[in-house]
Amino acid sequence: MVDENNTNEQATDINAPADNPVMVEYVQQQGDADMIKFGAAARWATKKSLWMVHFCTGCGGIEMSPLMTSRYDMERFGMHSMVTPRQSDILLITGYVNIKTLKRIIRTYDQMLDPKYVIAFGSCPVNGGPYWDSHVTINHLDKYIPVDLYIAGCMPRPQAITRAFTALMDMIQEGKADGYLRYKKNLEKYRANQEKLMRKWW
Amino acid sequence: MSEEVFARKISEFPGSEVKILRKGQIAVKVPNEKGHDAAVFLKKMGFIHLASIEYVDWIKDNEFELVYNLWSYRHRLTVFLKVRIPRENPNYITFMDIWPIAQTHEREAHEMMGIVFEGNPELTPFILEDWDAPPPMRKDFDPKKYVREKYDSIPFVEEEK
Amino acid sequence: MNMNEILTIAFMMLFVPVLGLFFMGLERKITARIHNRIGPPVYQQFVDVMKLFSKRENISHSWVFDIGPIFAVVGVLATMLFIPMGGFPMLSFHGDLIVIMYLMVISGLGMALGAGASGNPNAGIGVMRSLVLMMAYELPFVLTLLSVMLYYNTTSLGEIVAKQGETGWGILALPLSALVADLCLQGQFGEKPFDQPVAPHEVATGPMVEYGGKHLGMLFLWHAIAVVMEGSLFVSLFLGGAIFFDPSTITGMVLNLLLWIVLVFMMFFIAILINGVMLRFRIGQAFAFYWKWPTVLAIIALAYVMVVSAW
Repeated sequence: MVDENNTNEQATDINAPADNPVMVEYVQQQGDADMIKFGAAARWATKKSLWMVHFCTGCGGIEMSPLMTSRYDMERFGMHSMVTPRQSDILLITGYVNIKTLKRIIRTYDQMLDPKYVIAFGSCPVNGGPYWDSHVTINHLDKYIPVDLYIAGCMPRPQAITRAFTALMDMIQEGKADGYLRYKKNLEKYRANQEKLMRKWW
Repeated sequence: MSEEVFARKISEFPGSEVKILRKGQIAVKVPNEKGHDAAVFLKKMGFIHLASIEYVDWIKDNEFELVYNLWSYRHRLTVFLKVRIPRENPNYITFMDIWPIAQTHEREAHEMMGIVFEGNPELTPFILEDWDAPPPMRKDFDPKKYVREKYDSIPFVEEEK
Repeated sequence: MNMNEILTIAFMMLFVPVLGLFFMGLERKITARIHNRIGPPVYQQFVDVMKLFSKRENISHSWVFDIGPIFAVVGVLATMLFIPMGGFPMLSFHGDLIVIMYLMVISGLGMALGAGASGNPNAGIGVMRSLVLMMAYELPFVLTLLSVMLYYNTTSLGEIVAKQGETGWGILALPLSALVADLCLQGQFGEKPFDQPVAPHEVATGPMVEYGGKHLGMLFLWHAIAVVMEGSLFVSLFLGGAIFFDPSTITGMVLNLLLWIVLVFMMFFIAILINGVMLRFRIGQAFAFYWKWPTVLAIIALAYVMVVSAW
């Protein structure tokens, strides 16, 4: 049985050679051994049915409403929103992130199952945006959780978000969307950055 | 009833300075120790709704100013009740016995400005989480320095991204 | 049990999940068209299940948690074996209608066990709602089954299908019972207004809240098989098991299979249309609904059957 949050002890390098005993245990724990053979088919299935967490973290959440409903239908790509992070693949960070929200975002991201992707909307996760000198908002989201794709704008329109979704699907098909692998590889550094901000977790 | 009528009635309170700001808004300044009695006086006149308690930092006068935003449903008028307190060791009396909702606003003023309200049972932080610096809404708090020290000092995880 | 029957059963056990996933994809497409948008392609549910089975991680709380989805799928597969499907009488025997009534509850209870082991309070609320809903629609459903059993004077579903071949379809002879059974079918499918157990906005999908990855893939298969199974129970009871052509020839068998697919989808289609335009009831309202008019109508139908069959 795998333990609850598999990102703590066994933070291994997935590029390690196959006879490395640590790599073998990682593969057996993850149940990956058969899926490695079906890599391209698994990636196609992942890209055609991405489910997002229904957690609209900031001011960009207002652009999700026309995107999810009949106007700019996102379900034709196979995407729809799920209510728990355990069932979803994509986390959308829509807008600025302050420390309170960052704590919840990290908890949500930790609960999602691999493979998982993060898309950051707007200019605030890139370099702080209009809130760069505020005492509660963070300026670079990439220091705390790995981000696969940024969408510029304040707020990006649904057409731009749709274009980003198709770009993410291309990245998944080519195998370049590896945020979750980077997170596992550099887990100590990410956790150190997160611990500098949060004095207590709950 | 119009603003002039109310201004005349309010200025009967001893020590108050009344000014009509614009249509529908009256500002009343009272000395520090008479604030509580002025609030009771205004509530009896019909200003029964406390909309918010605002805080101003007059750093050159070395004083804080508390502004109580009162509204009267019947007369459709706003009264700003202004009180000045000293900047060193700022504390004031609580208005919870007049309006129980003042507890939440005073909690925010305590967290953002550092003003202690005697009689308020729960002055715990609720907006800022894990805050470790002086109260942020004071004018001598430098947010750019704080951001540079706290956030920009955190290293990126991978240098080439 | 000769080779033919074993082959039919094996074929059906593989065919029904595929058909169920196809029906679920059609459901999403039709709902999208009702909402005036394009919607996913009809093979979307296959892609969803493929993606879920290819997730690289598995979170598990205990072995009871893992058993929940297995229990659900096994329960619904076991029930499916006794219902005549596609014009083939599966494992029907004397008294199998009562066995079906019992087996239909097993999958729900298994899910309840697994969801309770997850420790999430949302799962507990969802499980409680699903059991209350099951209690609600079981009463008129059992009364309807009683009226059908009395009318055809048998408790074997295979014989009911055979007798409908001679005397005409059940929906013409017992229209009131068919109406009550369709109302109960809306609750069995889990479509609005009776989808309280899996209510995404209220209880965060109820029992499925902690399941992800491969467990969730099994739960999708469970829902797919359950849809086909419940629809085909109705078709066997009231629509003559979709046996219209002569089943002894090959073309007759194939045409019967196609007609069965069409009729089962028609029952699901009525549910989709109601689902697209209605809101969800509260669980108290759903319970009160099922124990009021459908029960009264079922009792009237039972009385009618008792009077008619006494002649």
